[in-house]
Parts: sequence; structure tokens; C-alpha cells
Amino acid sequence: MQEHTQLSQKQINDELLRDVLTVPKWWLPAVVGLGIVVATGLGAFSYMVYHGVGVTGLNRPVFWGFFIANFVFWIGISHAGIMISAILRLTQAEWRRPVTRAAEVMTVFSLIAALHTPLFHVGRPWRVLYWIFPYDFDRGIWPNIRSPFVWDPSAVGTYLIASSLFVFVCLLPDIAILRDRAKGLFVKRIYAFLCLGFRGTPRQWRLQTIAGILLSALVLPVFVSVHSIVSWDFAVLIGVEGWHSTIFAPYFIIGAIHSGVSAVAMLMALAVWLYKLDNYIKPDHFDAIARLLIVVATTWFFFFFLEWVYALYTLDSPEIALRELQAFEWPYGPLFAIFVILSFVIPVPMWLFKRFRRSAKIMFWTTILVNIGMWLERFLIVIPGLVRRTHMTFDWGTYHPSLVEILIVVETFAFVALGMLLFAKVLPLIPLFDVKEGVVFRHVIKVGRKTVPASIREGLPHHYYDKNH
Amino acid sequence: MAINSAGVEYEAVPEPYAETENSVDNRKDVSDRLLRIHNVISNRFWQFAALTGLMFVLGIIGFVLRLASGFDDKDVWGYYVAVFAFLMTTTSAAPMVAIAPRIVNAHWRRPISRAAELWTLAGCLNLILYIPLIWLLPSLENGRRSLWFYGHQASKNEFWTGFESVPAYSPHIWATLAIISLVVLGLALVWISCLPDFAVLRDQGSGWRKKWGERLSLGWIGTSGQWNWQYHRMGVISAFYFMMLIFVHFFISVEFLMVHVPGWIDSLYPITHAHNALQAGVATVMLTIFCLRQFGGYKDYIGLDQFWGLGKLLLALSLLWFWFWFSSFNLFWYAKKPSELSLLELLISGPYMWMFIAEFLLVFIIPWFSMIWNPVRRSVWGPPLIAVSVLIGTLLDRIRLYVASWDAASRDFASMLEMEMSEVPDKILAPGITDIFLIVGFIGGSIFIFMMASRLIPVMNIWEQKEFLLYKAEVQYHRAKVLVLGKPR
Repeated sequence: MQEHTQLSQKQINDELLRDVLTVPKWWLPAVVGLGIVVATGLGAFSYMVYHGVGVTGLNRPVFWGFFIANFVFWIGISHAGIMISAILRLTQAEWRRPVTRAAEVMTVFSLIAALHTPLFHVGRPWRVLYWIFPYDFDRGIWPNIRSPFVWDPSAVGTYLIASSLFVFVCLLPDIAILRDRAKGLFVKRIYAFLCLGFRGTPRQWRLQTIAGILLSALVLPVFVSVHSIVSWDFAVLIGVEGWHSTIFAPYFIIGAIHSGVSAVAMLMALAVWLYKLDNYIKPDHFDAIARLLIVVATTWFFFFFLEWVYALYTLDSPEIALRELQAFEWPYGPLFAIFVILSFVIPVPMWLFKRFRRSAKIMFWTTILVNIGMWLERFLIVIPGLVRRTHMTFDWGTYHPSLVEILIVVETFAFVALGMLLFAKVLPLIPLFDVKEGVVFRHVIKVGRKTVPASIREGLPHHYYDKNH
Repeated sequence: MAINSAGVEYEAVPEPYAETENSVDNRKDVSDRLLRIHNVISNRFWQFAALTGLMFVLGIIGFVLRLASGFDDKDVWGYYVAVFAFLMTTTSAAPMVAIAPRIVNAHWRRPISRAAELWTLAGCLNLILYIPLIWLLPSLENGRRSLWFYGHQASKNEFWTGFESVPAYSPHIWATLAIISLVVLGLALVWISCLPDFAVLRDQGSGWRKKWGERLSLGWIGTSGQWNWQYHRMGVISAFYFMMLIFVHFFISVEFLMVHVPGWIDSLYPITHAHNALQAGVATVMLTIFCLRQFGGYKDYIGLDQFWGLGKLLLALSLLWFWFWFSSFNLFWYAKKPSELSLLELLISGPYMWMFIAEFLLVFIIPWFSMIWNPVRRSVWGPPLIAVSVLIGTLLDRIRLYVASWDAASRDFASMLEMEMSEVPDKILAPGITDIFLIVGFIGGSIFIFMMASRLIPVMNIWEQKEFLLYKAEVQYHRAKVLVLGKPR
């Protein structure tokens, strides 16, 4: 990081806790606005419960619509937290420090958003109890554990618990600072309870570091399994052409990382603008995340290419007919073109230029484009496969989302934004201890007339310091 | 006090400087010591080189015998293709161990990057092995599934309009171009990476080494312009090498494997094949640096940090291997389409089951259960032993896949466009003496080429070791001495 600003520990505390201990002017109107959108979505859901799922655009043969596309999208966004936090922590990437917390918190809220979409989709969410209790005690009918629909809640639920634990463990030192700085007795007690008596003793720090690394490593397989399982909801089916493809699991995951990391870049820009955190999130951070995005987006595009190549390679007429529908026929053709242009053709060439990579504005807008494109990608996977006429279809039609579905989908976006705002009001969005650790580790080395940023290398074997090395 | 971009005053803290040991004497000391090791050739080296040379001769005999057997019987070529695929998997992927850590500025790669790059020279052998395969690859006219969407397939559906004019020998043309490009890029990478070291040989060497250095250093004197040129070219060639490696594995896995088995439609398999190559490439380099440390005199340079770094990479790649394999297997096993079940029977549950189980243990279970323990990863013996396990497992994998597929192809050639095999082979195609010569000979041949190359080119990257002096410093942190590493852009 060339443009590093070395700050004192006191200043880091002051700046990063400013918006927790005070209320910015824009905060309340934003929360109220988002709250209204969430309430409207919940109202639409209540309407749907009262009148039945007939008020949605779902009908034979398209039983999966906006809700499921949105579910896959939010699961994708949730991959940002682990990608940024766990992987970059394990690889000791220094630039991760200011962005990990926001990514982790976004993971938690987007998982909740993802989980409630299929619950709404089934129309009668209380039926989730059928996954816990038998359908019928007398006849011994139990949920079919071989069904992908049982894998889903298990995987997503595990990921939610693991991510929440991850966020909480990483929050402990910061909550302890809040405990010491909070004014009201009640608030102080809440923080005191939440920080689990963290005082910063060497043993507590050691345990906290070990827990962070262990959770990073343990949560990685869960991270991989979640979207694999979501992809298998589609791929294990042989009845819908285009879905039964072995590449779906990695294709979904790399797509998830593409949209998730893009969402983190967008959050970084918002943090700079709304919370004035430009002492912590520098153009160098945008540069680093954009370079990561170039690699991720290119890999994703290669998987997309392979998915298409193998669809055509089958020489299977129904499969080819589906691809024609996806890419060339109204209304999916134009959406397909928009999806490819927004998620790859526009952003990636722009990120190749350093000037654009280092601009918060450009990164904000290009990453928004990516996520619009990636939402469309999920839509184009789910809907055309079901719309297409097959030999055994006795009914066919097209799909139009109803207002109820649109309101509920919009509600999920507002819910995540609202969650982030509320979180940032009670806990810091940038990890204080991580930033301070970065300051302690940071050094500079003189190479000729230039200074090069350097950092203390963690975790080297003791033998490394032998004279022979 | 300082002012930030928003115009707000803040209390700036001075950044601590770390003093490096980058003196002229230290740099010269690194050159001298490394050249001294490079110039010494032990008897043991020549004994082992003679052994691998002898193996290479056996390989050449096997090669001639195989050519003499003609191109009509496809099944007898199964082991030959498996050896070719194994060498493409190991030697051609090994340079990625230099390329990837260099891109992310990982300093631990410095002592091992040259050894990784030198394996590309064995890629020339792969090119020779590839030549007969051109005659074995069925043309598109013979009726087979193809990535090239050939004319007669195109005529069945208007979606294919524009593909009618694809040449019937497209796979031959493109696969050949891709493999040649990979070899050329590999050679270019080694040469450009070696330029400063050739200059050291020119300036400090004697006899034929001096002449060799003079000729190949291209007038290198280390100006800023030359260094910039070298960094830039290495970056560009590395990126192209990686892309070409993936592309070549895409071709090999499709043209030499999947198209030969009716009903094998697995969009993930090219990625699995390429990923397996990365895993085996890491294992190859791990074993190489172990030998260099134990027998080559580089004990002071190749330390725990290198084994630890590569060990973590190998663990991650082994876990990813399982995930790729399971993603394909799960779909086939769950969906139970007849074509997929017969494929599973051919490759997993049928006559090759024991080979699959052995491979599964060697490539995934053993690396996983041993490398999750930090004491194993952080040891000199642990990671190389796991590397041996991975390499044996990879060889078994290539034999299982290619021999089984070419056996199936010889029976089912007429119906390659069908969705299901008409007959799944019921027994393993055992290797003949020619096949054993080929396996032993070409693996030995690759090692022989590497050993000979290591005499011509310093196997330890001298300039990268010297560059490390610029970015490495030791500082006192409370009561401990810690290492500070610079991260240039």
C-alpha cells in the first residue's frame, strides 16, 4: 500500500467509533425509508399468505420464478464475506484489514435475505416445521433426506451459524473498546455482556487470533458446500435441459464470488462517501480489489464459456433449443445480452486501467453493473429452462412476475441495506483491532530512492531466523 | 499534524524504517556461493543421470516398438497416451509454481522458482510424444462428438449455421498449435528469467560456461531499462503460459479422452484435468526441491518456508481435487442416467475400481489427513512424502482414465455419437513390455532432461536471491526478532 496513512491508536478509536457513538444526519431518514420498503415487502407477503401463491406469476410449468432467482443471488452475495475475510486472512493479504468486517456482516444479512425468499416462495412458511417433524406420525412419513431441498436449509443454516460466529469472534476486541467508551450505563452493560470479559490480556489475544484462523479454515468448506448444494438443486435434475451440468457447482461459486466481491467494492465506496473513512479505505484498496475482480471475473467467464460449449457439445436437440431460447428469443435474448455486457464486457476491460481501478466512483458504478448482470444470470438459468416445451409437458406458458413478487424481491435488498445501517450504528464497520495491528506491523524499506511498504511477516517457523537462512 | 484528502487535520505517526542487508558485498556473496554450488558436480549426480539416461533409452525403444505396432489398434496406445498426459500434467504444470507466487509477490518462491521453470524444458519431450497421436486422433468426418461443431452435425440444426465450413482436421490443427505454443512459451519464460544469471555466468564463469553465458545473456548488463523489460516480458509470458496451460488441458481432456467414450459429457472435466495438473505440478516441484536440498548442496537456501508454502498449496489443491471430482460424481450417481451409469462403471465401479480406490487414497485422503497437521506441513520430510503419494496417484489416475477410455474407444468407435456405450470393458487392459518401457522410459527421460538442464543453467535463481536482499530486513519487536518483508508493486 503506497498511500498508507499511519495513524495513532487513539485517532483510530476516535474516527472509527465516531458514527457508533453519535448519529449522522442522514442515518435516520435512510433507516426510515428502508424500513418503509421492508414493511411494504412484508405487507405483500402477508397479502400472498392470505390469498395464496396464485397472486404470484408462478404457474405451470414455471414454478420457480423471481423468488428462487433472488435466493440464488443472495446466496452468491453472501460469499463475499468469506472470500474477503477468511481467504485473505489466511493468505495474509494486508489490504484486507479495513474491509473484512463489512464483508462479513454483509454475508450474515444476505444469508438471512436468501433464507427468507424460499420460505416466502413456498407460500406457507410454517411448513418448514415439516423438515423437523414427520409429516404424519401415524404413517411414519418423514422428510426425504435425499432431497436437495433438505440439503439446502442444512447448508445455508450451517453457513449462517458459522458466519455469525466468525463475525462475533472478530468483534470481541472492538466491543470491549465500546464497553469502555460508551456513555450510558445500560449501553455499557450490554457491551460488557457481549465482549465476554475481553480485556486484551496476551492469552485472550492468542485465543482470539487462533479462533479467527481456525474459523477461517473451518468456514471455507462450508462456503464451498453452500453454493455447490444450491447449484445441485438444479443440476441433479435430468428433466430440465440446461440444468443437468457437472460444472454447475464451481460455476455457481465463482459467479457468487464475482457478485459478492463486487458488492464489497460497492460497500467500500459507500463507506468512503457516507462515513468519510478515506483515511482507511484508499485508492490502493480499490486497486487491490479490482485486480482480484479481474481474475475472478475472467475465471467466471471461462466457466460460463465451458457451460455453453458443453451444452452444444451434447448435440441434444432439446438442449440446443433451450440455448436458442436463452440467447436469441424474446424476451430472454435481450436480457441475455444485457447480462453478458453488464457482468463482463463493460466492467472487466475498464478494470484493466489503473486510473479506473483507483476511482471509488468508477468502482461503485461498475460493481453495481456486475450485480445487475449477475441477478439476470440467475434469472436466465431458472426461468427459460422451465418455460421451454418438452415432450411430456401438457401445459406451457411464459412467466411474468407479479407486483407481489417484485415487492418482496425489492424488500430483500432494503432488508440487507437496513441491516447494515443498523449494525453500523451499534458496532464499528471497520475492525479497529485489525487496523491497529496493521499499523503495528507496518514498516517501510528504502530501495534506492524509493520507499517500499513492508510488513512484519507472521507465523514463520523459528528455524527461519537461523543464521543459515 | 497532517491533512487528509477531505481537508481534515490528523495526527500522523512516522513509519518505522527497516534496514536491509543489501550491501554490494552481500550481493556478491550470494552470487559467489550459488555459483560455487552450481559448479560442483558430484559423482552421485552422474550416477543418477546415467540411470535416468538408461531409462530414457528404454523409453525410446518403447517408442519405436509402439510406432511399429501401427495405428489401427487404438487400445494398444492407451498406456502411451496415459504417459503423455502424465508428463503434460506434471512437467508442463510445474512452472506454475514459479508463476503464481511471483504474481502475488510471495517471497518464499525465490529459491524454488528456477527449478519449477526448468521443468518446461522437459516439455520438448511431450512435443515429441505428441506427434504420433496426431495420427490416432479421429477426424471429424469419422463421426464423433466434437467441440468444433462440424458440418454434418451442423446440417441437423439451424443453430449451427456458419459452422459447416469447419475443417475436418480442426482438432489436429488446434491441439498441435496449442501444445507447440505451450512449449515455446515455456522456453521463452526460462530464457527471459535466466538472462541476468547468464550474465553472471558470463562475468564470473570460466571455460564453456563463460561462452554459454555470453551467447545467451543477450548483452545483459542490468540497466534499469533491461530490468523493466525483463519484468514486463516475464509478466506477459507468464500470463499467456497459464492461459495456454488451461487451454492445452482443455484440448487433451476432450480430444484424447472424452470424445472417445460415447456418452461422456462432463462440462467440469477439463477443469478437473487442469486442476490435477496444478496439483501434480506442485508435487513435482516439491520433490525436486527436496532432492536439491538433500543432495544438491542447497540446504542453506531451501528451508522450511519453501516446504511450508508449497505444503499449504498442496493441501488446498488436494481438497479442491475432491470437490471437482465429487461435483461430477455426485451428479452422475444421483441422476442415474444410463449413459452416466455406464461411464461410472467404466471408470469407477468396474474393472478399474481398485485403481480408482488407490488413486483416491493417494491423491486426496493421504494428503488431506496428513497435511492438515501443521507439524507435517512445516517439516522437510512430510510434504515431499505426500508429493510422492500425489504423483503416484496422478499416474494411476491417468492410466485409469486413458487406458479405460481408449479400450472403450476401440470397441465402440463406430458409435461414438451415441449417448451410451454399447459395451463396457470387463477387465483391465494390462500393460505389455512396450508399455512398461514407455512409462519408465519417458518419466526417466524427463528427469534426465531436467538434470542436464540443471548443469547448463543455475538451478537456483541467483538474481531473485539477490533481489530478496532488497526486501528482507530483521527488526527487534519487543523481545523477539522478527522478519520484515517488503512488498513492491
